[in-house]
Amino acid sequence: MAYDYEGLAVGGGTAGVTRNRTLVFAAALALAAHKDVQRPLGLLGGPITVEVRQPSGGVFVALPDQRRLDARVFGTPDMPRMTTGTPGVTGVPPMARETEDGRYTRMAAPSPFGDAHVVLPDGVLELTATDATATDAAATEDEVEMRASWKDGDGNTYEVRCCAMLATHGMEFPTFGGVVTNHILHGFTGIGTALMPSEYAYLAFWGMGEVRKNGEVVDAPRLVHGMLTEYVRTEGYRLATDEEVTPTRTHFHLMVAPFKPVPEQLTFEQDPVQTGFTLPNGMTLPFWHVMFENLEVDADRG
Amino acid sequence: MNPTFHRTLGLLALAGLILLGVGLSAAAPEADAVVMMTNDLKFTPATVTIQRGQTVEWRNTSLLVHTVTADPAKATLAESVRLPDGAPAFDSGTLDPEATFRHTFTVPGTYRYFCVPHEGAKMRGTVIVE
Repeated sequence: MAYDYEGLAVGGGTAGVTRNRTLVFAAALALAAHKDVQRPLGLLGGPITVEVRQPSGGVFVALPDQRRLDARVFGTPDMPRMTTGTPGVTGVPPMARETEDGRYTRMAAPSPFGDAHVVLPDGVLELTATDATATDAAATEDEVEMRASWKDGDGNTYEVRCCAMLATHGMEFPTFGGVVTNHILHGFTGIGTALMPSEYAYLAFWGMGEVRKNGEVVDAPRLVHGMLTEYVRTEGYRLATDEEVTPTRTHFHLMVAPFKPVPEQLTFEQDPVQTGFTLPNGMTLPFWHVMFENLEVDADRG
Repeated sequence: MNPTFHRTLGLLALAGLILLGVGLSAAAPEADAVVMMTNDLKFTPATVTIQRGQTVEWRNTSLLVHTVTADPAKATLAESVRLPDGAPAFDSGTLDPEATFRHTFTVPGTYRYFCVPHEGAKMRGTVIVE
């Protein structure tokens, strides 16, 4: 297992990398029929426009942590699941998992997905997204305009804006033209990292955006993923297993992952986000994974 | 200085202090129990015991928005709310950081309440009215 910046797990051994690249390529081939489509079909029943706002209150910022592993998603050492795909993007190689008494317990190294977090003040979210295009394609009618910001205790303002461009098709999993509504993601689905629980998303998007600190762009372009989902935290704000999800409550997740796509190679490269946010150990947080929970949601079809 | 004017000034000052005192007293009577709402999604203390007719004050000491809700119509999990027979439901609405909310309990029994945005994180508290 290879480890890189700030202790994040970022790759497998040589054999694992080769195998995963092969599987990434296979997954990309599955989407290949869509990637050149210039006039994709629209959403049945017409476009859906969703507005999500957080007018006030703080946010939860995830810190690097070792994710508990759910047997429903990851199987057992004798019958592992979710092993394929780029490690850290969709794949979780068995060598990256800790075991005890014949079962997986937690990830061997920290990732952006776990229980550790900090609460920061003054979170504001303004998001308008339209899901018009149904499938992956070369072009899209989907649209996203998002501004999300929060502060730290010293008064610094952190902001993510999206999307200058949408990810109209995926390399390793579908992106549905950039925006998808009313779909299940993550966990056992293979759409996004398995380190998040399997969860119904009322809205999700993938696109290229920018990261700012105190109004200055500090990292761009960055792949930004946002989603309004059922509530996937439990007591103590622990990241839920599939069984612990609360289907009747929602929250919004913002993710700027420490990876960047390399489309010509059909792979992802490690690339820490220049967040400008300093962890207690003096290191810079290499990703943003931020939850907004004081939400106003509105949606219209047509 | 004119002694009459001096005496009048003194009486006005005294009246002002009395009025101010009454005003402050009316605005912020002592609560019988105080519960904090925290960043780690807890009501602290989780359980308070009061007498019938007494008042509980909730203080949002966190950076987050919380609610104090004991209304079955607003709960999505049955275990989030419990009201004694005959007790009216109550709900603070959105409480920004530093906001407070008070409720006076007139029906004895055990009340369980929750925070709407953090119901999934099991942010719940209990008031026992004797």
